[in-house]
Order: sequence, then C-alpha cells, then structure tokens
Amino acid sequence: MLVSAELPLRANLSVLENIALVPQYRHNAKAHVANERAWALLERLGYTACAHLRDPDLDFEQRFVAKLLRAVIAKPSIIVIERPGLLLPDTPYPRFLAEVLSQLDKDIDTFRIVDYAWHAPLYPPI
Amino acid sequence: MSWLTDLLTRSGDALIARFAAWARTLRFGTVTLAGILSPGLYNSATRTVVQKQIYFTAWQILFGFNLFAAVFSLILIRIATTAAQNYGLGDLALELILRILVIELLPLMTALFIALRSGAAINAEVALMNITNEIEALHSVGIDPLRLEFLPRVIGGVVSVLALTALTSLTALLIAYLELYGPQAHGFADFTWVIGQVYSPLLLFGLWLKCLLFGLAVTVIPIAAGLDSPHKLFFAPIAVLSGMVRLFFALMLIEVGSLAITYL
Repeated sequence: MLVSAELPLRANLSVLENIALVPQYRHNAKAHVANERAWALLERLGYTACAHLRDPDLDFEQRFVAKLLRAVIAKPSIIVIERPGLLLPDTPYPRFLAEVLSQLDKDIDTFRIVDYAWHAPLYPPI
Repeated sequence: MSWLTDLLTRSGDALIARFAAWARTLRFGTVTLAGILSPGLYNSATRTVVQKQIYFTAWQILFGFNLFAAVFSLILIRIATTAAQNYGLGDLALELILRILVIELLPLMTALFIALRSGAAINAEVALMNITNEIEALHSVGIDPLRLEFLPRVIGGVVSVLALTALTSLTALLIAYLELYGPQAHGFADFTWVIGQVYSPLLLFGLWLKCLLFGLAVTVIPIAAGLDSPHKLFFAPIAVLSGMVRLFFALMLIEVGSLAITYL
C-alpha cells in the first residue's frame, strides 16, 4: 500500500473519517468501531488533536500521519512510502519516519521507503 | 478552400466530442443502474454516504423549499381558479391544477432546484476529486470510488427528488382544497373523485417514472461530467459548465418527452 504525495486524503472528510473509512468500507465495520480503531492509532502517535481537521487545515506532519495511518489500518503486507521529502518538506524526515514507524511496528509487517539515490546519506546504514 | 476544410473539421470534431460525452454519460448511467441493483453495493460506509446525501439534498432544504413551493402553488392555484371561473369553467379548475401544477410544474421545479443546488455541487466535487487524484487515492487503499462515492450519491439524489416532489405535491393538493372548498369537509368527496379521475394508475406510473428519471439525471450527469474532466485544475469550471448544460437539456428532454407521451 502506497503513501505518496500524489495520493491525497479525501478533502471533505476529517482525518479520523479518512482513516476509519477503510475498515468501514472494506470490512463493513460499524462506524463507531471503525472510528475507535482509527482513534487508537492516532492516539498511539499522539496526533488526536488533528482528528477532526480536514486536509487543507493540516500541517505536513499531520497530513503524512493521516496518510500513513490510512494505509496502516488496512493491514497490508507491505507499505511503501514514496519520496518522503515531498510529504515532509519542512521536517528532518529520516528521524521522524524512524520514530513514527517504530511506534507502529506491531501493525506494519514490512515497509519500504522509496527516495532519491542522492538522499541515501540521510538514512542510517541497514 | 482550406478555411472551409478547417471549419468543417473543427465543427465535426466538436460534434463528435459532444456525442462522445453523451455516450460516456449514458454508459455511466447504465453502470450506475446495474450497481444500484447489486446487493453487494450496500455496506456501512456506503449507507453513511447515502444518509449524508439525503440529508444535504432533501432534509436541509425541506422547510424552505416546501414553503416556496406552497407560495408558488397558491399563486398558480389562484390564477387557475380565477381564469377558469371567468370563462365559466369553474368545474374544471381542479383538474387544470392537478394536471399542470402537480403533474408537470412541481416535479420539474423540484428537479431544477436540486440540479442547481446539489447537482452543481456534486459536479464540482467530482471534478475536483478527479483533478486532485482523490479517486486514485481511494483505489490505492482498496476502496472502489464508484461504490463508495458515486452510487450512494445517485441513490440519495433519486430518493430526494422523489421525496420532495411527493411532499410539495401533497402541499399543493392541500392548498388547492382549501382554496376551492375552504377549511371544511363538505367538498372532500368531490375533491377525491376528481383526483381519482385525473390520476389513473397509468398516469401515476408515468409521473413516478418521470421523477425517477429526474432523480437519476440530477446526479448521474453531474458525476459523469466531473469524471470527464482532464487532470488540470483550470478544467474544473468547464466541467461544471458542461455538466450543468447537459443536465438542463436532459431535464427538458424528459419533461417534453413525458408531455408528448401524455398528451399526443
């Protein structure tokens, strides 16, 4: 499942609704159950303050977290984060990504970060 | 002669593009009908969108629109009854009101109002969803936008047109009764007899079918026009413009078609 700057959130839904929509649609989860799951994920990352905001009112980090959790809640076997520099232009993103992904390690089987080759020095060696 | 060739080529291209747009709209309409009849469509998320659509399209405007329709009906009923009495045709006033106001004008007015209010909004929203890649984003998380976003809007639109038409028609009938007989029960038998004479089962079926087609038109055409828009922001107003023009012609075509079938 792809997290990309080119795959925006639904503009007329809040962050919480964007995340909860996935289990509600894919697994026919009741609205309150899906909302609880989405809220729990936001709470784990400490982003509940933006739960009821819509896309234009979010900062880059909040938007990235919303997109990432929208992918995570679907429980895919792999998550691909495409060009994080585009998603987080004013954040030291390798460290931010490491922190966020470590908090979600129970929910993510595998993740891949696709970035420009000249950004390789930003990441710690594998 | 080259200018003539250019002119004919351009006109031909424009004509073909117009036909192609109508063909895509009809194709989307067919897919929509098939989707609506599929039980697999309905789940927790799609039901929520249907509820929201009915709320925004019908519930939010219920009081205001019904009030407007009541005033409009009162004026037309007064005109119809006065004119009929002046020509010595007072007995036919009610039939005139039922045929012109309830069967023709109120359904068309409701459809036009919903087209202007919700149809334009749906058209703009779908065009922007298409342009900003939101449709692709939904696909990427395993959500079918047709099933989640478009079909529930069509269902909500159809339900709203049917419900508002029924409500405004009932209000108009009530006003017509009060205007003709006053707030008394003595005219009820005559009133219901005329209603029974005018509203044959076939006519009622035709009215129901017309409202259904209005409901489909005010949602299917704006959605199809929004989906037609190229992925460039400056095309959004053009998508809304072409969708609204197509919608206007479709509504007029349905109305004229229904008049032709009823009276010719």
